[in-house]
Amino acid sequence: MTLNGKVALVTGARGGIGRAIVARFLKEGVTVYAGDLTPQGSLAAHDDDGSHFVKLDVTQEADAIAAMDHVRTAHGKLDILVNAAGIEIEKTVEETSLEEWNQSFAVNSTGTFLTSKYALPLMREAAKSGNSASLINFGSYDGFIADPGLAAYCATKGAVHALTRAMACDHGPEGIRVNAICPGYIDTPMLQSFFEGDGSGGGGGNIETLQKAVRDVHPMRTYGTPTDIANLVNWLASDEARYASGQLWVLDGGLSAQVQQMKL
Amino acid sequence: MRLTGKRAFVTGGRQGIGRGIVDQFIAEGAKVITCGRGPAPDGLGAGWLSLDVSDAKAVGTAAQELGALDIVVNNAGVQVEKTVVDSTDADWDLVMGANAKGVFNVCRALIPHMRAGGSIINIGSISGNVADPSMALYNASKAFVHGLTRSIAVDHGPAVRCNAICPGWIETGMLDAGFDLANDPAQAKTDALARHAVRRFGKPADIAAMALWLASEESSFATGQLFTVDGGMTAASPLNPGLF
Repeated sequence: MTLNGKVALVTGARGGIGRAIVARFLKEGVTVYAGDLTPQGSLAAHDDDGSHFVKLDVTQEADAIAAMDHVRTAHGKLDILVNAAGIEIEKTVEETSLEEWNQSFAVNSTGTFLTSKYALPLMREAAKSGNSASLINFGSYDGFIADPGLAAYCATKGAVHALTRAMACDHGPEGIRVNAICPGYIDTPMLQSFFEGDGSGGGGGNIETLQKAVRDVHPMRTYGTPTDIANLVNWLASDEARYASGQLWVLDGGLSAQVQQMKL
Repeated sequence: MRLTGKRAFVTGGRQGIGRGIVDQFIAEGAKVITCGRGPAPDGLGAGWLSLDVSDAKAVGTAAQELGALDIVVNNAGVQVEKTVVDSTDADWDLVMGANAKGVFNVCRALIPHMRAGGSIINIGSISGNVADPSMALYNASKAFVHGLTRSIAVDHGPAVRCNAICPGWIETGMLDAGFDLANDPAQAKTDALARHAVRRFGKPADIAAMALWLASEESSFATGQLFTVDGGMTAASPLNPGLF
């Protein structure tokens, strides 16, 4: 149990990737606060896994403050913050309404800002133990290169990447490490929704054919699972990663290591 | 005429991108000397040196003949389409000799002969940033070029500037040969075009246009950078669901 005794808060904790992170943390001996809109999150049902559910709409400053007050009262510190809450709107700039644009930024970028803002004082307290606290954001490989028809999403993730480096500079001297994980294609409800929507080329193409094609483009011939992401979160949260900060960790089965794959 | 009075040396100017740069520089008033293995090609409007850039001694001799220069373009390059496991020692010597050691040889020999305010332009590649399959040594050689570009900029500024251009798919004999090898050449070409935001492949003139800017005074604050000119291809994910 590499994280025994640590306290963590995960946003988007009832979603596909969030649940895997929570499950891993629990296995490693962490006291976990699982923040999300509802106990069900984006999945069908809530399994009582031993985490503490906190109602947390990351776009709401009052929710962020209340969640951190809750942690402060119980523990007086926060060792790990994982900003995993995110949404995706599958549209080009022209198709995206101002409301959709603002909502994308509110969740993916402002949400990361707000939760971090109110977590940092508690993370400074945790760092007084002599072990650094770890703040982990969710960027995306889409923050580096574009998927078609995902304009606002790509932009929000680019903002998270820059914010990650900025926070690493500002709070490193306080013993807080800040990194971002940049997932590629991970098997989550968000990905399945993409396959059923614009991923099919808008024409409702055969999903199994599409899924195979997607796997085959990856050097590892598969897309990832939430567990793959949780494995990296676990390392970044642990004291083994004590020298890791300010970095963007791409985890995508090699997808973005290659140029576009021509059908030659 | 943006290069009037400038003296330029361009390696590998026989054909393709190198020839495009030679022709563009001449059109803008530069005096150009180019080189390659073997005799001068027909109709070349530039001076010619028969030179293998992987031969350090020969490059040293050429430096004495060339005299003072304002612009050096390291364009000469070769590619071998193999994985690491399939590559032979001879493949290494060929690819790294021309693409990596050649750029080093030319820079080492010519930087001392460059006039103040000079510009070195290396031809890197998008393949130095992301991998083309079965092009292992080529990809690695271009990453070397990218690293050397930054080192030269840092070590030899402000006397000279050094930048690299990273071309994408450029219409040369090399590209057509690639399509000819495809199962369905017409389909392959259609697919490849769909992956370019500008819906066309590059032309040597597209790279020459960037080389001209980097050679000119307009780029006098640009150094140590990689300039990708690829019609938008590497801005997009390699996984383009609309194409399945």
